[in-house]
Amino acid sequence: MDLNLLPLEIQEAHAAFPVALAACDELDALNRLKGAYTGREGSHAARLMDLLKTAPKEQKRDLGAVINGLKQAWEEGLKSRQAELEAARKQVAGLAAHWDAELPRPLPARGALHPLTRVMDRLVDVFRPLGYHVEEGPEVETEAHNFDGLNIPEDHPARGSADTFYLNAHPGLLLRTHTSPVQVRALKRLAPEITARGGIRFLAPGRVYRKDEIDPTHSPMFHQVEGMLVGHDIGLHHLKGTLAYAMKALFGPGAEVRFRPSYFPFVEPGCEMDVRCPLCGGAGCRVCKGSGWVEILGAGLVHPNVLAFAGIDPAEWSGFAFGMGVERMAMMLSQTPDLRLFFENDQRFLAAMGGLD
Amino acid sequence: MRYHLRALRLELPALAEIPLVEVCELLPSLGFPVDGVEARETDPILDVDVTANRGDAQSHRGLARDLSARLGAALAPLSHTALAEGEALFPIRLEADACPIYATAILELGSVQATPEEAVGLLGAMGANAKQLAAVDASNELLHRYGHPTHAFDADTLKGALIVRWGREGERLVGLDGVERKLTAEDLVIADEAGPVALAGVMGGDATKVTASTRRVLLESAYFDPRVVRRMAHRHGLHTDASHRFGRGADPAMAPVARDLLAARLMAWAGARLVGAWTAGALPGVRPAVELAPGLLNRIAGEAIPLEEAELWLTRLGCQVARSGEGLQVQPPTWRHDLAIPEDLAEEVLRLRGFDRLGSALPPLEGPPQPLESGYLQRRRVAARLAQLGFFQTVTYGFVDPEEPPLGDEAAGRILANPLGQEYSLMRGTLLRSLRATALANLAQGAREVRLFEIAPTHRATPAGPEESWTVGLLWAGQAGGEDPLSPVRSLAPEEGRAFLLGVLEDLGAVAQPVPVAEDGPLGWMVELPLAALPAHSERIIPPFRPFSRFPRVERDLSLLVDLAQGYRELADAMAASLRACAGSAFQDLRCVDVFRHKSLPTGRQAWLMRMRFQALDRTLTGEDVDAWVAAALEAARAHGAERRA
Repeated sequence: MDLNLLPLEIQEAHAAFPVALAACDELDALNRLKGAYTGREGSHAARLMDLLKTAPKEQKRDLGAVINGLKQAWEEGLKSRQAELEAARKQVAGLAAHWDAELPRPLPARGALHPLTRVMDRLVDVFRPLGYHVEEGPEVETEAHNFDGLNIPEDHPARGSADTFYLNAHPGLLLRTHTSPVQVRALKRLAPEITARGGIRFLAPGRVYRKDEIDPTHSPMFHQVEGMLVGHDIGLHHLKGTLAYAMKALFGPGAEVRFRPSYFPFVEPGCEMDVRCPLCGGAGCRVCKGSGWVEILGAGLVHPNVLAFAGIDPAEWSGFAFGMGVERMAMMLSQTPDLRLFFENDQRFLAAMGGLD
Repeated sequence: MRYHLRALRLELPALAEIPLVEVCELLPSLGFPVDGVEARETDPILDVDVTANRGDAQSHRGLARDLSARLGAALAPLSHTALAEGEALFPIRLEADACPIYATAILELGSVQATPEEAVGLLGAMGANAKQLAAVDASNELLHRYGHPTHAFDADTLKGALIVRWGREGERLVGLDGVERKLTAEDLVIADEAGPVALAGVMGGDATKVTASTRRVLLESAYFDPRVVRRMAHRHGLHTDASHRFGRGADPAMAPVARDLLAARLMAWAGARLVGAWTAGALPGVRPAVELAPGLLNRIAGEAIPLEEAELWLTRLGCQVARSGEGLQVQPPTWRHDLAIPEDLAEEVLRLRGFDRLGSALPPLEGPPQPLESGYLQRRRVAARLAQLGFFQTVTYGFVDPEEPPLGDEAAGRILANPLGQEYSLMRGTLLRSLRATALANLAQGAREVRLFEIAPTHRATPAGPEESWTVGLLWAGQAGGEDPLSPVRSLAPEEGRAFLLGVLEDLGAVAQPVPVAEDGPLGWMVELPLAALPAHSERIIPPFRPFSRFPRVERDLSLLVDLAQGYRELADAMAASLRACAGSAFQDLRCVDVFRHKSLPTGRQAWLMRMRFQALDRTLTGEDVDAWVAAALEAARAHGAERRA
């Protein structure tokens, strides 16, 4: 088909046709386009027919073929677009005129991150500006990483099969009981470059397992976020300052914390941190058992044995570590009454927990 | 552990001036959280959490000792008269290092025994009933008050000699609880010449116990190695008051003292007459002193703590403190096994001083922040994207029931030795079963549409143990629409659910084959794939610029008749290849936008409406250009048996 036989404006009109066609989103507009291209009078097609009439005899055959081709293309296009628009119109036929915009409208599909993910993500985001990166380790761990490297003696009760899940075919393997073995792995891996890096600071979020029966406050699988910092001249005041900052970021600027001495084999000194009960504000309630405080994490200065075990000189380097229960924090942040809800995955709960309020 | 406030006040008289509320604040600040208070208004009993390292605080005097150090108030003097020791009246042989000292005495009991009210009250508060056997009640009362376990044998049941030795295979012992236990060479036993009469530091034997008809008692007040006692208690599943205290480290120096206190009680409560007292073995040697350098203390505190202050606190704890060069040379008291390194001493100073007095500061950055690991970022991006696409993230247990489908050899390496139950015994190799269970539960709860995803490790057994790989699983089931007047409710056509999941995967940049949620259950599809199969996280912030055309775009539809069995990918690839060959960069896109099946079509054929889009970077395309390209595409389609639909 030699379009060059046609006047330039017809050529341009043909090139513009598909775009103009697609732009018609109502039948009225389509009818106007139809009039302009294939209408009886004044249309491109009418002009072409005039052209054909006046064309020299020897050109009529070729020109006729071109014109027929064009008209057919236009008509086909118009017809299929008309069918589309009519189908669409049929669906809302008669509805548009008196449609109340307050009627329920189709909403974009809404999903949500799991609340435990949201809490862990937030913790990472809170610690990012302090220079913490993320370290992770496997759920199936060795006794060496889960216990030995953390200064937990061989006859410690936590190592018993009443508290820790072991693998049947692999006596030395267990399901990690805390995220602290990530400390051992990360320290060992990063020890050679500790000076070049200017210390070590990381967060280790993850799933852990303990042999607890399932009830409103216990689950055999739960989540922890471990934090660790190793640097020069690190003291308890640094631990306090860091955690106070983090708790304000999580619970709001009014968050109040207190530190109590405690004991974990892999830190010395060891402590626990309480936050002022977010439910009752300290007046005493069921959640804080009337004390006004809720225990939220265990922490301490890294035991020199743990550093030495990883090949880091405790005479030069010191640090702190902390570990918190994600479910507990999520329960406090959301006032979710039962830990099992996090693992039931009822979509109504997940949808509500995905909300911003 | 339970503490009777009245008994605490007996040990530390200054406590009488301090209201209960303040005691409940004081104890946590020393590291002893108060879990609850019973009989608050009348005769309070405190439930206090004592950490495993503080065996010494597991008695009223022990806890009072810490309070006394904090308050600077004196403990009540120990009303203790040392017995005059003499000849051994009965042979006692210590044959195991695990028992360095064994203080004993033999007493003849009087005819009337009466446990005083005060002791009965303390035992009651501890949840124990007074037995009205002086030797038993006094031993218990001593345990709760002073923390040192003692035992009394009926002296007339012992044969020949008492030997502290390792057990022998095949030996048996019936304990005070009436249960017979098999002993091993790892059990430390007290034996007479006929065999074991007690599990050292754990439980006495039934045959030699004190009864109402006992006339003469032999007292035992010894020290046993905590590790040995812990292992025995664990092995026999016997967690007694005695094993709890010995297992956390008793005070060896208390061995003779507790013997004296027990004897004094028997004399007072049962009119007993001392026959003789003596001690086998000796106190273990003094542990090495610990140096506390001011640099370490100040580093841990974050401020300069005057050495005099450190000295004061440590002395109050019962340490012997001497100046040594710049720092302190500290000899911890015999009851504090946990004070072994300088950090332990620093903790004691700061603990007594109060953690609330510590400063608060952010540690300075010593190096540049490290980037986040790409696997972590990838997971976060995928999760966020799936949530945006309308999926709900689930978190389910990593262990599942191995029963269905039947367990193959491979899975044997993923089985737990001691699961909570059969349904939690296999480290899962797939997320699909968990997703399906969650979906079915949601549908059963009345959910109309379920859109779920989970991102978690799955496990595969290898000779070295289960190997982990991060996996993402997706599920879509139920029916769509029906929540507003513009979206009529419709069940998902089978091809639609599958295509939807494939589309989501395509959005994530991956390919995998969805499977039905259930063969005969509700309609739905699910799919899983390793995170490694998804595009890795890119550090690139925005992609490089690619020029695009500002000339008009031309769209052409071509309706093709193809076999019902025709593969789309094959046909589309062939057409696209020919379009690329002739149109070059002006060819932009080819896709099927409609599938038409109708009896009006030739048998075995369907119609695919193929839409092509063209746009040149440098000019407006002419109808001629496009006609030629479409013709070429049709040619390519014909080679695959397609024809133009008339």
